[in-house]
Amino acid sequence: MSSESSRYGVEPGDYIGRRLPRVEDARMVRGEGHYVADLRVEGCLEAAFVRSSLAHGRLRGVRLDEARAVPGVVGVWSAHELPELPAAQPLFPAEVLEGRDWPSLATDRVRFAGQTVAVVVAENRYTAEDGADAVDVEVKELPAVLDPTKATTADAPELFEGLSNVVGEWGTGEDIGEDFWKNAPVVVEASYRQPPLAPTSIEGRAFLARPEEDGGLTVWCSHQAPHRLRRDLSSVFEIPQQKVRVVVPDVGGAFGGKSETFPEYLVVAYLALRLGRPVRWVEDRAEALAGATHGRGQNQRVRLAADRDGRMLALAVEVDASTGAYPHYGFAPLFNMLRLLAGVYKTPRIYARVRAVVTNTTPTAPYRGAGRPEAAYAVERTVDLLARRLDLDPAEIRRRNLIPPEALPYETPTGALYDSGDYPTALDKALEAADYESWRAEQRRRLESGDGSLLGIGISCYVESAGVMEEYGAVEARADGSFLALSGASSTGQGHEITFAQVVASALGVDVERVRVVEADTDAVPRGVGSFASRSMQVGGAALHRAALGLVEEARRRTANFFGISVEEVGYREGMLFAGSEELSLPELVERTGPLRVEDVFDPPQAFPYGCYVAVVEVDPELGNVRVLRLVAVDDCGLVINPMVVEGQAYGSIMQGLGQALYEEVPYDAAGRHLLDYGLLDYLLPTFSELPPVRLEEMETPNPNTPLGAKGVGESGCIGVPPAVVNAVADALGHPADLQMPLTPETCWTALCDRSAARSAEVRP
Amino acid sequence: MKPAPFDYRAVGSPQEAVSALAERPGEARVLAGGQSLVLEMNYRRERPKLLVDINGISELERIEEEGGVLWVGALVRHRDFEEPVSADPLGRLLSRVSRYIGHPPIRTRGTMAGSLAYAHPVAEWPAVAVALDAGIELLGPDGPRAVSAGDFFLRPFATACRPGEMITGVRLPLLGENSGVGFAEQRRTQASFALVAAVATLTVEDGTITAARIGLAGVAGRPIRAREAEEYLLGSPLSAEAFAEAGRRAVRETDPLPEPHAGVAYRRHAVGVLAGRALEQAAADLEGRA
Ligand SMILES: Cc1cc2nc3c(=O)[nH]c(=O)nc-3n(C[C@H](O)[C@H](O)[C@H](O)COP(=O)(O)OP(=O)(O)OC[C@H]3O[C@@H](n4cnc5c(N)ncnc54)[C@H](O)[C@@H]3O)c2cc1C
Repeated sequence: MSSESSRYGVEPGDYIGRRLPRVEDARMVRGEGHYVADLRVEGCLEAAFVRSSLAHGRLRGVRLDEARAVPGVVGVWSAHELPELPAAQPLFPAEVLEGRDWPSLATDRVRFAGQTVAVVVAENRYTAEDGADAVDVEVKELPAVLDPTKATTADAPELFEGLSNVVGEWGTGEDIGEDFWKNAPVVVEASYRQPPLAPTSIEGRAFLARPEEDGGLTVWCSHQAPHRLRRDLSSVFEIPQQKVRVVVPDVGGAFGGKSETFPEYLVVAYLALRLGRPVRWVEDRAEALAGATHGRGQNQRVRLAADRDGRMLALAVEVDASTGAYPHYGFAPLFNMLRLLAGVYKTPRIYARVRAVVTNTTPTAPYRGAGRPEAAYAVERTVDLLARRLDLDPAEIRRRNLIPPEALPYETPTGALYDSGDYPTALDKALEAADYESWRAEQRRRLESGDGSLLGIGISCYVESAGVMEEYGAVEARADGSFLALSGASSTGQGHEITFAQVVASALGVDVERVRVVEADTDAVPRGVGSFASRSMQVGGAALHRAALGLVEEARRRTANFFGISVEEVGYREGMLFAGSEELSLPELVERTGPLRVEDVFDPPQAFPYGCYVAVVEVDPELGNVRVLRLVAVDDCGLVINPMVVEGQAYGSIMQGLGQALYEEVPYDAAGRHLLDYGLLDYLLPTFSELPPVRLEEMETPNPNTPLGAKGVGESGCIGVPPAVVNAVADALGHPADLQMPLTPETCWTALCDRSAARSAEVRP
Repeated sequence: MKPAPFDYRAVGSPQEAVSALAERPGEARVLAGGQSLVLEMNYRRERPKLLVDINGISELERIEEEGGVLWVGALVRHRDFEEPVSADPLGRLLSRVSRYIGHPPIRTRGTMAGSLAYAHPVAEWPAVAVALDAGIELLGPDGPRAVSAGDFFLRPFATACRPGEMITGVRLPLLGENSGVGFAEQRRTQASFALVAAVATLTVEDGTITAARIGLAGVAGRPIRAREAEEYLLGSPLSAEAFAEAGRRAVRETDPLPEPHAGVAYRRHAVGVLAGRALEQAAADLEGRA
């Protein structure tokens, strides 16, 4: 055992906080990963979809004859030929969907460019696309509406006949009332736009369905929540759950865009059952950008009142959130947003309303952060406005309003219960790591020297919510000396294979290499929820931790029975049981007493990781280019199981946050067509070349509500980065009035032009 | 994103390529690096019936310098210019520019001639070709001919190369010892296409500018030369003011198309700045060697 453990230079059982390399990386970087597209399933057909090129219109006809004649095409269908085809399933049931069905193939109306209209199944993908090419779709175009606020107006086109475009309205707190705003010592107001973003995982969506002889269905899918997918498939196709198996092979990223039971999946599963043959659909990049889900997509109006010392008195937020053409997924993030609007501040009164609005854009869905970045942005941008109004340093105004550590646990006016942490220390650490005071001095020096260069510093403090719902975990000791760790979470790149093994090996005191993580297969793991909302380690890891401790207890009980002594007389250490002079290893115990598996289902309250980000930027005064000179991220995600994995999550989410701040927005023309003819040459993602100098700093306040102590780390960067970077750019540009993401060179240049126009207007007599 | 069906033919000589093209008039395409053609085919905007793969024509991989001209064969890849291919300042210019094209995998396959044939309105090589008055050598059913770069580019993705013709090589004039080169580009990420780009060369005698060339990309449907700005610089000393003024004059010669995140006003503004910066670089390049 010790020779094995020396590989990591760590004693068995001591794996918490260790930088153990991820198990899957070696196979993935060698190209030996196995994705849905790599599977070889005998007799498998390939599907391609015909999608609407128009954003809104009446479907007049879909002609399939020519497509059917393409050699190698097995079948072509539109909704007309498939009356039994089930409709898309919502993320969770909600009355907002009443009367707003999302047919898996469009029936009489198309509501977004990219919507599935027909499907072709063929011997291979090339032929399937030849068939799709030959399908003729006739649509009578209708006016499209893309902006959620415009969609609420009386003259906006009605997306669902006889129904309002506002599909739901939710809120928090009591209306603050105009009198209050009129009398408040200081009030700042602003509007923000959260442009629609494309989640863009390297691997798109992918789904393979094989009908089984017993009437069952096996599905391989690149998915975040295999058990939910199983449940949905079972219910829409009326196959008992035990006969539906969902397997998730390697996944190339998900970010929220792979949690759903999409129309495409239902079409493919339906056809597989109908044809009695396996059928696969692998989404390509063009489909992924237009036809998969988008994230964000909001208009926010924010008002913040404070006293003359900058103590925040009240915050009001009104949001119009686009759900895109179908509201099945897009309303989900709004509840996260509402709950988090207090941010890290003591603000006593908070009032917020959010309207979920259908528009003729690609449907929105939770995207990494899912409501948390939207909340942090609304608050943190406005706090900076307040600082400027009062001529206070943005760090100082935050200090005056932060919830002090002794106030935790703290219940916000929006109903969140922050568990633990130290927000002022996070701020101080971030300022120190960024060398904040020297940058401020440098900024003053440059302003005085009048050299024209534009330097800005931005801060954002955030708190987020991690984990929802219960998770299943089980640990099994096997006669061969190995251990199985079964989890209902399902990795889409988070590194469970090593981190979950670290948790279990540490609880059992055994070598980590003896632990094999089993997940992502509904036949191997009896129940589960999945990986989203930064919940894998917080909830799933804790369930495994509890199961492992439970296994030790069960082993002691069995040993006691075996030797006829009391449990108290049985000791346990590093996989060995001690009963008086007798010793028994776990495998021996299994051999003598039978299979040993302990299950756990754990449902802790949400955790609230938090942190502070500081960005230092330079803006090219002529061209408007933003250069991030430094980015500091202080994150407290609770107990850190594996710092390397945590850093990986931080870097990834930081880059996605930079994407939102500087590069990304799904562009539409006025008629609602995506301007993405060249794919990722048009939708720009930051890559390694755009990575700025980043400094990560950790704080580690264990989660008091789980025995393990992890809080969640999946989303920090994309929450903390956008307001920090935009605040920094606004600082460099002298706080222009209407600065909206993404901060393209053109956006910054326009802001600079407005500023010099304003200046020359000032000097004119 | 799978192409429509097509036939494929690998050829061993330019003549063979031209005969193959003639078999399917108007429906055959030359396949060079494939970095643009295959993308267009995957989107099915290009549906050639026959691909004529010229990658096996080894004589087109050559670069030759003779009689004041650098001859670049049609299979010379972007990457091949990363280390200067000539001791003339032209070598430095091509090296500097090449690093702005896509990213390393694209540069390893993509060719200069392919970029000229593709005629993307913000591509770098066409702007260089126009600035330098490059000669583009074509071979067709009626034999070889040459077209100067200024006449070659017609509109976005449209050139004087006729359907049955192929580019065999590009002739780039050497600039001469007392020349400096500069290149400035505005792009949103390191791997993205340019929004606008400017190429500049300056030749100086006794402290005054005797020749100036400015090529611009992304400011019209095709690459253009800023003639007025060039003329303005003749006889002028190397000065920051002169370069800034030349930049402003270059703006007048442009007629950019709008695109998301780069409207007409911004592009016009940016090209003035970039032309000025490219000229300053060219001056620094000269002075650096003085
Ligand atoms: C991600 C990405 C980023 C890119 N970024 C840039 C960039 O920043 N700047 C830039 O300039 N380009 C960029 N490109 C395009 C790249 O430079 C291409 O290599 C170039 O445009 C075409 O050269 P090729 O050899 O690949 O030609 P191909 O793709 O093989 O052909 C392109 C077209 O030219 C024709 N053609 C090719 N060779 C000949 C010939 N000898 N005679 C006649 N016709 C010919 C083909 O028939 C086809 O119509 C990028 C491409 C990608 C995919």
